[in-house]
Amino acid sequence: MLKTVQCPSCKKVITATGNPGEIVKVTCPSCRAKGKVTFEKPVYRVTPEDGLAIQVFNLRKEYGDLVAVNNISFNVRKGEVFAFLGPNGAGKTTTVEMIESIRVPTAGSVKILGKDISTSFDKVKEKIGVLPQEFHSFERLTVRETLEFFQKIFKSRASIDEIIDDLDLHDQEKKLYMNLSGGLKQRVGVAISLVNNPEIVFLDEPSTGLDPKARREVWDVIAGLRSRGKTVFLTTHYMEEAEYLADHVAIIHKGNIIAEGSVEELINKYGEGSILDIKNCKTKDAVDMLIQNGFKAKNAGNGDIAVYIEHKDKVLEILSILRHEAIDYDALDIRRSNLEEVFLHLTGAKLSEEEK
Amino acid sequence: MKAEIIWASFKADIQSFYRSKATLFWTLLFPILLILMFGAIFSGVGDAEYELIVVDYDNSDTSETFIQVLNDTNILNTKLEVVDEKSISSYIKDEDIKRLITIPKGFEETLGAFQMGFDENATTNISFYFDQSEQQTNSIVRSVISAVVIEFNKNISGGKDIILIDDIETISGEFEFIDFFLPGMIGFTIMQTCIYGSLERNTKFRKDGILRKLLTTPITRTEWILSKMLFQLFLSFVSAFLIIGLGVAVFGLNIHITALMFVLIIATSFLFTGMGMVIGRFVKDEESAGMAGGAVTFPMMFLAGTFFSLESMPGFLQTIAKVMPLYYVNEGFRNAMIYLKTDDAIFHSTVVLIFAVVFFLAGLVLTKWKED
Repeated sequence: MLKTVQCPSCKKVITATGNPGEIVKVTCPSCRAKGKVTFEKPVYRVTPEDGLAIQVFNLRKEYGDLVAVNNISFNVRKGEVFAFLGPNGAGKTTTVEMIESIRVPTAGSVKILGKDISTSFDKVKEKIGVLPQEFHSFERLTVRETLEFFQKIFKSRASIDEIIDDLDLHDQEKKLYMNLSGGLKQRVGVAISLVNNPEIVFLDEPSTGLDPKARREVWDVIAGLRSRGKTVFLTTHYMEEAEYLADHVAIIHKGNIIAEGSVEELINKYGEGSILDIKNCKTKDAVDMLIQNGFKAKNAGNGDIAVYIEHKDKVLEILSILRHEAIDYDALDIRRSNLEEVFLHLTGAKLSEEEK
Repeated sequence: MKAEIIWASFKADIQSFYRSKATLFWTLLFPILLILMFGAIFSGVGDAEYELIVVDYDNSDTSETFIQVLNDTNILNTKLEVVDEKSISSYIKDEDIKRLITIPKGFEETLGAFQMGFDENATTNISFYFDQSEQQTNSIVRSVISAVVIEFNKNISGGKDIILIDDIETISGEFEFIDFFLPGMIGFTIMQTCIYGSLERNTKFRKDGILRKLLTTPITRTEWILSKMLFQLFLSFVSAFLIIGLGVAVFGLNIHITALMFVLIIATSFLFTGMGMVIGRFVKDEESAGMAGGAVTFPMMFLAGTFFSLESMPGFLQTIAKVMPLYYVNEGFRNAMIYLKTDDAIFHSTVVLIFAVVFFLAGLVLTKWKED
């Protein structure tokens, strides 16, 4: 693993390599000062392990010179929907596929339900259900045949009828997979991941490429999994998806986790609080007036003004300024800051733009 | 390893197979169409006239009239030859005669004896020699001769069988084009289905995430490969026996079902499935897989003696053919099923087995099971 330290004498940043538990001697390349760097042993942050579905420690993946995933660590608690949020190319799929043992990590370790996957993945297989990214099942099998095929692979078997009931696939069970719409294909994909009655379900970008209605339907299915006590590991680049579904969000950017917590916590910590949008304001200097009164306000385009509200009491104050200064506008709208603004705040880039 | 998993996967393959009209066409119907087409072009089926050699031991007016009537049908083109009665068999063999009739000595006399009322039970036998490998043509020629004989019998006796036909089967030394072509088609069809089947599993299934999905389930690599091999073998046997059935039913081929033939079908399936896996390692998507598959199967199809005998090719092409696995497959099938040259068949089967082991093992080793 890699560790960066600051030289105590010349303050230059030095990168050192070593194994967990090792103490490595280093020499500063600029001032030649000598020192030691300690590489900490894996310490899983939450104990006891009982409550944890997945523990990831210092997971790293390199492709030549490119570091796709840079020593990331996090835990997923049992029964929660954990959203791994980030733009395309951030390292989401690489990470989830390392956890699913599809890819071999360059370094680091993963425990699923307390078992190290590098040695005991075969024992874990019965307890997880996976929907890979851009998954397409066998084209010429019906939905029921598809579920039966995958079910036979496992020792632990859920009832196909129940899955069809739960995911509302009755009308489709006799249709060939190839003839289903994109949304239904994804729903079948989720259904396939449930044939072994898994404790943990991994869904890699389940709603990518779907229209808004189909996306909503997939969300309902995922919310249903949570209500049935499944742990869901969800990767997505849609912040609305994470906001709607996730108990816990980890934001990944360029191979690093840059923030982690519940949606609430992230918005409170990195968001801009609440925002009052003044729609189509016709009074010139309205922004200046608000700023003079001590508010953080800016033109948001199309004549709209966005005013950041640090505390709920401030709303009344703004309203009285609007009345007092006879500011003319069409409508007012109060909304909470969202994960998009959190991402913007953390990276200086928009989540949706990063995709391009 | 669990039989249930293998069976489930095999069943899924069969279900997918019979629902894909395109696959059904290319695996089952296309070889049949090719055989019928090439068979018709090169075997002369559809000729208006058939040559019939006639050996007339009677040399009488009546026998001459009989030959004239055969000719007047406009279907038979008779050719008179003089052959000693004792050496007729060797004549047929040496000259590669397909159809021949002999008119016996005393033909006219027997018919006369009946007409004059001297002998009411008089009969005379015309012998019809025919090559058993040409069933379709023979049945046409036989029916023409029968019609002429019936006509003669009616005129002379009002329908009583005085002239009879003796059918005598012969085997000429030469094999027909179709004898050469049909075993080649078996090899070619197995090659196509195995290479493309294997490529589909290694490109389409990879792209569709099916291989990634399976990596996260308890199905083992052995179970997966076995189930897929079971399916490929099933397809190979169905194709082979369909082609054999066609050869027997339409072209009247004399095909021998031998143990070596089974060995060859199995070894060929492993060989080309392995080759598909090897190709699959070096291509990324389905389109390039199709092209790479074509780049391997096309030269083999034309150069390894599937359609045309190597003897008609220039020397360097013959040398190239002999490094192609399909050449040994084709020759093996021919020797095992048609020519019955057991020693050659064993040699070719052994070479195919070695190729099969090498390619299948290479396929297993080279196939990328995990992602990078």
